[in-house]
Amino acid sequence: MTMQTLVDGLVLGGLFSLSAVGFSLLFGVLGVVNLSHGAFVLIGGYAAYTLHEKLGLDPLLALPVIMLGMFCLGYAFQRSVIQWATKRASLLASMLLTYGFALMIRNALVLIYSPDFKSVTPAYAFDSLSFGEVTVGLTRVAALLVSIVLLAALAATLRYSSIGRTIRATAQQEQAAALCGVNIRHVFALTSGLSAAFAGAAGVAIGLVMPFSPPDETLWTVNAFVVVTLGGIGSPAGALVGGLILGVVNTMTAQLIGAAFPNAMMFLLLVLMLVVRPAGLLGNSFKGSR
Amino acid sequence: MKLFVSGRSAWVSIAITLAGALLFALLPAFLSPYGVRVGQLFVLAAGLAVAWTVLGGFSGYWSFGNAAFVGTGAFVAALIELALPGWSPAGAFTVALLAAMLLNGLLALVIAWPILRLRGIYFAIAMLGVSQVCYELVSNIDALRGALGVNLIDIVPKDVRPERFYYWALLLAATAIILIAICVRHSKLGYGLLAIREDEDTARMLGVPTAPYKISAFVISAMLTAMMGVIYAHNLGYITANSVFRNEFNLNVIVYSLLGGMGTIIGPIVGAGVMTYVTQVLLGDLLDIHMFITGLLLAILVLAAPNGLYGIYDTYRLRLKRQKREAGR
Amino acid sequence: MSADVILAVRGVSKSFRGLKAVRDVSFEVPRGAICSLIGPNGAGKSTFFNLVTGYFRPDSGTILFEGRDIAGASPVDVAHLGVARAFQIAKPFPGMSVTENVRIGALFGRAGPRDVEAVTQSAMQLAGLAELHDREARELTVGQLRRLEVARALAARPSLLLADEPCAGLNPTETAEMVAILRRARDAGATVVLVEHDMPAVMEISDTVLVLEAGALIAQGAPQAIARDPRVIAAYLGTEE
Repeated sequence: MTMQTLVDGLVLGGLFSLSAVGFSLLFGVLGVVNLSHGAFVLIGGYAAYTLHEKLGLDPLLALPVIMLGMFCLGYAFQRSVIQWATKRASLLASMLLTYGFALMIRNALVLIYSPDFKSVTPAYAFDSLSFGEVTVGLTRVAALLVSIVLLAALAATLRYSSIGRTIRATAQQEQAAALCGVNIRHVFALTSGLSAAFAGAAGVAIGLVMPFSPPDETLWTVNAFVVVTLGGIGSPAGALVGGLILGVVNTMTAQLIGAAFPNAMMFLLLVLMLVVRPAGLLGNSFKGSR
Repeated sequence: MKLFVSGRSAWVSIAITLAGALLFALLPAFLSPYGVRVGQLFVLAAGLAVAWTVLGGFSGYWSFGNAAFVGTGAFVAALIELALPGWSPAGAFTVALLAAMLLNGLLALVIAWPILRLRGIYFAIAMLGVSQVCYELVSNIDALRGALGVNLIDIVPKDVRPERFYYWALLLAATAIILIAICVRHSKLGYGLLAIREDEDTARMLGVPTAPYKISAFVISAMLTAMMGVIYAHNLGYITANSVFRNEFNLNVIVYSLLGGMGTIIGPIVGAGVMTYVTQVLLGDLLDIHMFITGLLLAILVLAAPNGLYGIYDTYRLRLKRQKREAGR
Repeated sequence: MSADVILAVRGVSKSFRGLKAVRDVSFEVPRGAICSLIGPNGAGKSTFFNLVTGYFRPDSGTILFEGRDIAGASPVDVAHLGVARAFQIAKPFPGMSVTENVRIGALFGRAGPRDVEAVTQSAMQLAGLAELHDREARELTVGQLRRLEVARALAARPSLLLADEPCAGLNPTETAEMVAILRRARDAGATVVLVEHDMPAVMEISDTVLVLEAGALIAQGAPQAIARDPRVIAAYLGTEE
């Protein structure tokens, strides 16, 4: 029973990690807290839903398309809106701006898809794998695999590719990078694009595992906050650690204390972490806490 | 010990507030019941926003979680009234109100010590977390009845229309909040808070005892917010965790200040007025896209006038001043 | 220690990650003096101010202010004891008027609550800001900001004023004004210690000059003697002109 809870927690944790990594990246590199991140996650989920319902496209096949689309959206979002806001107003004000966008997206999703729960159900949705006593649905396996593969890919990109190095350099020394001829705006927009692409991917994976509705955007944004606070800002490893801990704490709390308490426990953890170790378990990979 | 540092402008502000409150008190005579309800929303919003400003506007510590105090205040009051059957409504209400304010003050005091050490965005996030913890606890612990809901006692006198009574009650509370905010602003505490907002390290160097000042402002802000929450809860008559721990209470108070002018007292009042008018009157019929329009307004606001309406006025005022000076030469 | 020594520094050292910023510095400042701390960039002058005002805790040594060891005390406590600091990069509160800025200095300084207004006015008078009283800080020029910085510090009624490069970036007229302001501050009862690069100003105003190089005190004495001191000349030749 406990083993089952642990495995469920890890699957959930993988989703938390994937949904938070983009938020974390944007926060780490640009210092922007994107309150519409959860809405981006949902856009990914609804895109997978639409592609599956209308075209019969398998969510896993739709994943690259959705990520590409979300990348473009994130790039444009940074170049048009966020850039303007951070230049003219404070970072705190940019939080309000993104909150405004979250409201708009949520309202638009309600208008298009209704406020009801939707889920993505491919043909294999009801198959499952068994390992001894532990049973895991095939879609959950898929979701966990997607999370891990994508997080690893992002970590490798940031570490080894030239664009990854540029992003990290810009995060650490914005002015120095600019002096070295880095086009800061472009790098910031790329980061924002990556952030949105991973949000979209998380949405697809979430859609495979659980039903979702427009008001969930708040939940996914706050989850991202908690994950980042737990694991540390700006790194895929931090997001993975934070997400997995959160997932396991979540299912364990539901199991041991009561089905109604995972959220309370999660926020308690958030507040405690902020007080005890605001830089997260792995510390800040990029900029210091501002 | 003088109460005010800048005495004259404090008394002027107090006089304006009292005159304005009197004027607003007369309004229901000219409004339809619907108009009075919109008035309630405005007065509630203004009171909450000014209560938020005592910490957020003056010291620059933006709380993203003031719903914690609205909701906790409402539930403390409701549960105390439940525990006092047979009391007269006025008596039970008074005890409940005072207890709610006191307990929220204590709550603020307890959480202030750890989380007011966090700066900027981290304080904002921690407060968001605090409000969520309060919400989750109230809705999930059966004894607190957050999921089930609680009825509050009826405190409306027999011969007064309820919507008018609550309009006046909220107006009275909001006026008290504004007066207290004015007192804080013009006292030594207020000057210390402004110094903290401008530059906390410099403030320390000038001898401002930053930690006690921040905590005082936080406690005052929490108690005033709770007061508004208690009256609002009675206005609703029946509350659940969902109806009082609303995310709007967390974020709209900031929006009002941003719209009107951050750090001023008039700013959040004007901001609350404009937003209430726009969302309730102009867009009152467009419920489907209510949220969309609010979001759009927010975005436009941040992009077009990052310092709010007061910022526009301020720029204009500075320019006028300069022109006058140059003309004088 | 005699009663007329306001600040006595004994064997103070401070290093950052192994880098010795201040090494074993000792000196005394007599009450009512104007004392300048000079030295090439990176000599440890600003670190020294940070040590006295409680920003840093010295690794070793004592800092006696009016006979009381303030090494490692918090900035708020040091301020309340009567040490005020005017920053090199003026840090006024930009959204407030000149009067309000100075008033904050007075409010949290050592003036009684009834004297706040009087102290505020006299500090503005002293710094030549009376005419600018309703100007907002963000409207001021660099020279005016620097005077505001000094006025705000003086409004606290300090017995020791630490001025961090009060003349940097000022034109000759403004520099002369600043020198006059610091003299008036001394005459009003404050001991003044300044870090300054403007040598003519230092020579004109100082009773004593202290020379720091690479964190160590290499010379101290009257301005004329310092100007002729071969070690000082050597220290400066290495880095300037």
